[in-house]
Amino acid sequence: MALDLHKMQNYDRLLEQMNEFRERGTDYRSLRGRMSEVMDRLHPKRLRLEVAEIIQETPSAKTFRLVAPDRSLPPFLPGQYITVYTEVQSVATARAYSLSSAPADSGHYDITVRRLAGGLVSGRMLDRWRVGDTIEASSPSGNFYHNRIIHDRSVVYLAGGSGITPFMSMIRQEATRPAGMNVCLLYGSNSDGDIIFHDELNRLAEGNARFRYVPVVEKPGAGYRGKTGYLTADLIREVLGDVEGRTFFLCGPGAMYDFCIRQLEALGVPRRKIRREMFGALPDITRHRDWPAEVNPAAEFSVQIKGKDTIKAKAGDSLLTSLEKNGLKVPSLCRSGECSYCRVKLLSGRVFQPKESLVRSSDRRFGYIHSCMSYPLTDLEILL
Amino acid sequence: MADYDAIVIGAGNGGLAAAATLAGAGASVCVLERHNIPGGCATSFCRGRFEFEVALHQLSGMGTEGNPGPLRFTMANLGVLERVEFIESNDLYRIQIPDRIDITLKTDRKQVVDELSGRFPEEREAIANFFDMLYAYFQELVKAFFLKDPDASPERYPLIYRYSMRSTKDVMDSYFRSPLLKSVITIYWSYLGLPPSRLMFMDFAITLYSYLEYKSYHVKGGSQSISNALADIIVEKGQEIRFNCGVKRILVRDGRAAGVITETGEEISAGCVISNASKITTYVDLIDREHLPGDFFGHLRSSAIGVSALSLYMGLDCPPSEAGITQPTNFISPTEDYERAYECAKTVEVSEDSGLLTCYNYMDPSFSPEGTTIATFVTLKYGEPWMQIKPEEYHEIKFRCGEQMMEILDRVYPGVRGRIEEFEIATPLTHLRYLGHPNGSVYGFDQHPWESSFFTQQKAPIPGLFITGAWAGMGGFQPTYQSGEKVARLALKNIKG
Ligand SMILES: Cc1cc2nc3c(=O)[nH]c(=O)nc-3n(C[C@H](O)[C@H](O)[C@H](O)COP(=O)(O)OP(=O)(O)OC[C@H]3O[C@@H](n4cnc5c(N)ncnc54)[C@H](O)[C@@H]3O)c2cc1C
Ligand code: FES
Repeated sequence: MALDLHKMQNYDRLLEQMNEFRERGTDYRSLRGRMSEVMDRLHPKRLRLEVAEIIQETPSAKTFRLVAPDRSLPPFLPGQYITVYTEVQSVATARAYSLSSAPADSGHYDITVRRLAGGLVSGRMLDRWRVGDTIEASSPSGNFYHNRIIHDRSVVYLAGGSGITPFMSMIRQEATRPAGMNVCLLYGSNSDGDIIFHDELNRLAEGNARFRYVPVVEKPGAGYRGKTGYLTADLIREVLGDVEGRTFFLCGPGAMYDFCIRQLEALGVPRRKIRREMFGALPDITRHRDWPAEVNPAAEFSVQIKGKDTIKAKAGDSLLTSLEKNGLKVPSLCRSGECSYCRVKLLSGRVFQPKESLVRSSDRRFGYIHSCMSYPLTDLEILL
Repeated sequence: MADYDAIVIGAGNGGLAAAATLAGAGASVCVLERHNIPGGCATSFCRGRFEFEVALHQLSGMGTEGNPGPLRFTMANLGVLERVEFIESNDLYRIQIPDRIDITLKTDRKQVVDELSGRFPEEREAIANFFDMLYAYFQELVKAFFLKDPDASPERYPLIYRYSMRSTKDVMDSYFRSPLLKSVITIYWSYLGLPPSRLMFMDFAITLYSYLEYKSYHVKGGSQSISNALADIIVEKGQEIRFNCGVKRILVRDGRAAGVITETGEEISAGCVISNASKITTYVDLIDREHLPGDFFGHLRSSAIGVSALSLYMGLDCPPSEAGITQPTNFISPTEDYERAYECAKTVEVSEDSGLLTCYNYMDPSFSPEGTTIATFVTLKYGEPWMQIKPEEYHEIKFRCGEQMMEILDRVYPGVRGRIEEFEIATPLTHLRYLGHPNGSVYGFDQHPWESSFFTQQKAPIPGLFITGAWAGMGGFQPTYQSGEKVARLALKNIKG
C-alpha cells in the first residue's frame, strides 16, 4: 500500500495508544493451558469415577454411588445424565444414565440402574460392578431440567419405571430448598413390588404441602390400595384438578411418551408446557410407530465404511451398535439422537431414522445421520 | 514425502474456506477439528422441534447478482453458491431505545436518509452530507485498495486521509449534534465489538456501507449449511476432514512448520500448517517457545482478547407477529450511551447492555415449523470475568443473567416470554467449550485500530505456518471466509514454490 501513513489524521496518536496497550497488555505465555483448565473444571471430556457404594433399591434396580478419586466433580442440573463408557464382551460401548442424586449432595454422583430384559449393559453392571471398581464416564449433559426463566413454579412429573431417576434428583434438590416449587409426581410402575425409591418418596411427601407423590401401578399385587393402570388423562385430571399454570416433565420408556403426550394434549396442555427426556432409543425399534412393517429386523445388510472394512449390520440394530460390535470407534454421548456425537455421512443406501432424532436440516440435506438412531434398510456405504 | 500438502487445524469459517480453496487447486489437505461438526461458530443445534443458528445474524458483503459484493465472489470461488440458498433482505435494522426512539431502517441509502431526516429534521443537511461522505469514502477505498492505485496521495484520497484512522465517535461528533441520532447510526459497533470511541472509522464505515449497499443475507438452513457445503466440497475433491480430532502440537522442523501431533498422539506431516485455532492457542499451546522470535510475545501484548457473547436461543410456539416481532433484526438498547453499554460487557451481570433480537423465520418461513418462531437475543460479554466463576456457582449465574436479559426483552417484547417452548442460554464459557478460544472470544482480538494491516503484519513468524479466521484479522462471517481464501492462496505459493 502506497498510503503515506504519517499523513493520515490520528495515525501518530494511534501509534502511541498501541504502545500504551503494549505496556499494559498481557504476556499471553501466562495463559498456557489455562483454557483447558477452566473447561476441565466444568465440562471435562472424560471423568474417572470409582464405585463407592452400591445400594439395592428393588429386586431389579441398584444405585451406584460414584466418586471421583482424583478431582472434584463438575456441577450439574437436576435432570442431567452422564454417559458411562464400558466394555461388554470386548465390545466398547456406552450408555447414558440420569443422575438420581441431587447436586446439593456434593462429592458424589448416583446413577440408578434397572435390569433391562435383553439389554447388553444394564445386566452386566448389576451383576459385575463392585465397590472399588473404576469406570469411565462423560461429564453431565442433557437438556431435561427445570428452567426457572420459562417454566412454571408448579410442576408435574410423569415418570415410568427407571424414568424416575432424573426426577429423583429434582425432588431431592427441591427438598433442600426452603421455599421451592410445587411438585406433583405421578409415577407409573409395572408392579407394586418394584417401585424404585418408593419409601423415600413416601417419606418426602409426608406432611409436605409442596410435594405430592402418586404411585400408579399397572399390575398390582393383592393388597395394593393405590392408583392402578396407566397415566391417563382422567387420572391426571383427578389428581391435579386443574392443569393450568403447570409445566409437565416426562421421562420413561419410549412407549410412554406417545401415550402420555396424547393424554396431556387431550387435557389442553400446550406443547410448550410439556418437556420430555429422550431417555434412549427404543430397545425394540420395530415397535416404533413409524417403523416400516415390511422390514424384518433380523435382515442383514452390508455396510461399507469408506476407506475401511465392510461389516454386517442388522436392520433391528442401530448402526452405532453394529459399528461398535465390529470394533469401530464412533463417539457417542446421548445415544438418543440428540447430541450428534455419533454423526456419520451416509454415502449411499437408506436407513430408518425415527423422527425424534434431532438431525440438523442441512445435515439431512447433505446426507449426515445420527448413527445411534439410524437403522439400515438396505446395504449402506458410509464415511466415518 | 509429507502425508499432505497442508494440514488445517480447525473447521471454522477460515479453516474450511482455506481447505476448500486448497482442495480446489489440487492440493492434498487434511482438516482436523476437535468438535463433531464443521463450522466453529457457524453451526446450529437442535432442541425439540427447533434448530437454532449459533452465530449468524446478518450476512454482509453478498450483494445481489446484479451488484455483487466481495463475499459473493468468495462464495462462488469456493463452490458454495450453487449448493446453498442465500436469501436477500432489504431490512437493515430496527432499533429500540425504550422511551427514546423506535426506528426501522432499510438496506437502502435513500430510505435511511429520508427516515433519519424525518425524525431529526434539524439535522437534515448533516445527514445527507454524512451519507454522501460515506459513499465517496468507499469509492476512494475501492480505488486505493482494491484497484491498488500506485499514487495514493492525500491530494487524490482526501477522505481516506481525513477519516480512516479517527474514531467513529469523533467522526460522528463532527457531523451530528443529537446523541440519539448518532446512536441510531452507530449501533453496528456491536457487530464489531468495540464502542464508537474506540472503533476506527474505517472499520465502522465499511460495515455500514456493506449492509447498505450489498444488503443483508440470510442463509437457508443457517450458517451450518455453508459449513456443511464447504465440508462436502473438501471431501468431494478427495480430501479429508477428521472430526473429534484435536491438535495438541504443531511440529516445527528446520525452522518450518512440518506437521502436527493430534490429541491421541498421532503424528501427521505436511508441507504447511494453517491454523484456525486462536492465535494465542496456536502460539502458546501448540508451538514450542523456542521456535518463536524472542520479542514475539512482547509485540502480541498490544492485542487484547475480544468479546464473547451471552445469548438466549428461543423457540416460540406462535408466529413472530403474535410475539410482537415485526422485523428480522432488532437492536434493543436500554441506554443510548454505547460507551456505557460497552462497559457492561466487562461485567458478568446484565444491566444496560445493548442486545440484538434476531428473528430467523421472518425472511425464511421454512426455518421454523409452521406457526412458530425462532428468535435469538444476544449481547456482548467479555469472557474474562466468567473465567473466574467457581464451577458450583456457574449454573446459578447463568440463569440469573438469562433472567436479566429476559427483563430487557420484557420491556420491549412483552409477548415473547410466555410463548417460549424451547430455550437455551449460551455464555462465554459455552463458546469457550465449543471453540476452545481464549475467554470464549468469538471475534478474535478486540478490533483496535492497530490490529489493521496499517499497523500489524499478519505474516506468521514461522515459514509454512499460516493463521486464518477471526484471530488473523477481523471477526465475523464475511472477513473469516475471505481470510481463509486469502491464506490458502499464500499457502499454495508455498506448496508449489
Ligand atoms: C453468538 C455469536 C454471535 C455472532 N454474531 C455474528 C454476526 O452477527 N455476524 C458476524 O459476522 N459474526 C458473528 N459472530 C462471529 C463469527 O461467527 C466468528 O467471528 C467467525 O465465525 C469465526 O470464524 P473463524 O474462522 O475464526 O473460526 P471459528 O468459528 O472460531 O472456529 C475455529 C474452529 O477451530 C477449532 N479448533 C480450535 N482449536 C483446535 C485444535 N487445537 N485442534 C482442532 N481444532 C481446533 C474449533 O473447534 C472451531 O471449530 C458471532 C459469533 C457468535 C458465537
Ligand atoms: S450419541 Fe447423541 S445423537 Fe447419537
